[in-house]
Amino acid sequence: MESKGKGGGYLLSLEGIRELFDRLREKYRVIAPKLKDGLIAFSEVDNFESLPFGYKNVEAPGFYSLERSGGYFTYTHPYNSFKNFLHPPELALIKVKKEDGKLRFQVHIQEEALCLFDIRACDLSALKVLDLVFLHKNPHPDPYYAGLRKGLFVVAVNCTYATSTCFCSTMGTGPEVKEGYDLLITELSEGFLVEVGSKRGGEILEKVENKSDAERRHFKEKAQRLGETEAMMRVHFEREGLPERLYGKMDSAYWEHIEKRCVACTSCTQACPTCFCFDILERNNLELEESLRVRVWDSCFSPSFATVHRFNLRHSVHSRYRQWLMHKFAYWVDQFDCFGCVGCGRCITWCPVGIDIREEVRRIAYA
Amino acid sequence: MPTLENPYLLKAGSVEKVIKECEGVYTFHVRTQEPAYPGQYNMLYAFGVGEAPITIASMGEGYMVHTVRAVGDVTRQIDQLKEGDYLYWRGPYGNRWEIERAYNKTLLIISGGLGLAATRWVFEEALNKPIKRLVHLYGSKDYDSLLYRYLYENWSSKAEFHITLDRPDPRWKGKVGLITELLKELELDEDTIVFTCGPDPMVKACVRILQEKGIPPSNIYASLERHMKCSVGTCGHCMIGPYFVCKDGPIFRYDLIREYFERKEV
Repeated sequence: MESKGKGGGYLLSLEGIRELFDRLREKYRVIAPKLKDGLIAFSEVDNFESLPFGYKNVEAPGFYSLERSGGYFTYTHPYNSFKNFLHPPELALIKVKKEDGKLRFQVHIQEEALCLFDIRACDLSALKVLDLVFLHKNPHPDPYYAGLRKGLFVVAVNCTYATSTCFCSTMGTGPEVKEGYDLLITELSEGFLVEVGSKRGGEILEKVENKSDAERRHFKEKAQRLGETEAMMRVHFEREGLPERLYGKMDSAYWEHIEKRCVACTSCTQACPTCFCFDILERNNLELEESLRVRVWDSCFSPSFATVHRFNLRHSVHSRYRQWLMHKFAYWVDQFDCFGCVGCGRCITWCPVGIDIREEVRRIAYA
Repeated sequence: MPTLENPYLLKAGSVEKVIKECEGVYTFHVRTQEPAYPGQYNMLYAFGVGEAPITIASMGEGYMVHTVRAVGDVTRQIDQLKEGDYLYWRGPYGNRWEIERAYNKTLLIISGGLGLAATRWVFEEALNKPIKRLVHLYGSKDYDSLLYRYLYENWSSKAEFHITLDRPDPRWKGKVGLITELLKELELDEDTIVFTCGPDPMVKACVRILQEKGIPPSNIYASLERHMKCSVGTCGHCMIGPYFVCKDGPIFRYDLIREYFERKEV
């Protein structure tokens, strides 16, 4: 696992990381983890002090809390995902105005220079998944997603800790960040190893004064730390051949067993960094002269999701759960050549009844 | 990254003609030069209400034909359009009927109810193609729901066009009974190609009979209707198994879709 970043590596002190953050703040709208209402949340962050340094998130099925911890990047990913910023919960698609009996259309595509500061391996994989969904494997690439995505600067962080709901190693997405970053940070005993993954990553790091060249021992410690993180998780099921196994279990009686617990609250799909489904709603003014077409997150657990006229094609809750799980672990592979699950575990933590998707996959496909 | 075409932009076309087909069902001729293929659909927009996927029923010189039944908020508003009004839409979307597969063979079209709107164009096209035998079965629930009455005479003179009504009516001298009865009576080659559009239960029942006649599911194509919002494979509503009906369909070769289509609540 010992690897050197494409553009070499530097050792930065906390001061150096702060300098890097401030440099990025000058150029970008920075989205980073922040303490908010007793949670670590991806938010727009203006100052370095807002980062939740020295905290760790303790998670279990249906459970979340924060504890103090020695060190800095000691938590895992935020409770919400970067999805909120690239595929926002609400986004105006088109404004329609009535003028002289005809309709006029106004489109505003937001183009932003966003920086994701402190994104972990699971979420970085999810970013790649959403890129496939909205752009690269879509015959009609989405200009709204593209506008928010195109300038994105990625500062990734390797996890030195895993919660009980983390399963990136099962999904093959972590804990090590391997690609898709401009800069990659690993917290070490002596400071922070920063590796360069792109030209602009190198350029911004160039301006940071508080740094020295990383040495072999730093890469060694990085590998050791990642090994420790990996050891905090177990492999829950075999990925190879999983889609085929699931396709063979669509009539399993076990699906109905899930219905006894699942309350179809949609929480898992909101927390998921790859769930992309949306509805389009019309927001009209009182005079009915102006109508805004708004894209809002939807969920395959919503009762109206698969309704044609008055017929709901997925009436039972277990059929909706099957749709969700089959999509993540089987259909997605056919559609986008990757799994729709990156093993972040958010759906497990934020399920109000503690349904553990790792356990459900194991029982359906492998029991 | 180059500027991407916005898939949500709407086009406008004036309504040149409105035909009342029956209670609550209207056909619109809308001016357009947009190329399209039989089997494709457009998203029709109703201001302040939303959009609905509607099949392109036919194409004339400089205009397209849409037949709309007022079943929801969007379609109820579209059905209010008068000649000279503008219709707003985006499209065309989806795949087309693979008519080439029926060349020098028998082509059987099975249409149920408003499903006739999705098969009309390909049927009209088939009249001028090298099809060995062209049969079209159309089932309607009652006399008052019949669509395109003004075309039957022409169709009947050029192809085997048969209608059946679910319910008898004193004004109706033709067949009465389910479309499956009509299908059972039909003698068909085993290499017949079948295009069908209608309610899901009708499609399933017809496929069973076709199989009894030795026609394999890989010769059968069905146009499906599912909930759609984006129509470009991004919103997720129309999924059936691994397929997005909006972009992989709406027309599916039956052997590819059967497993998901026939299973409950997929």
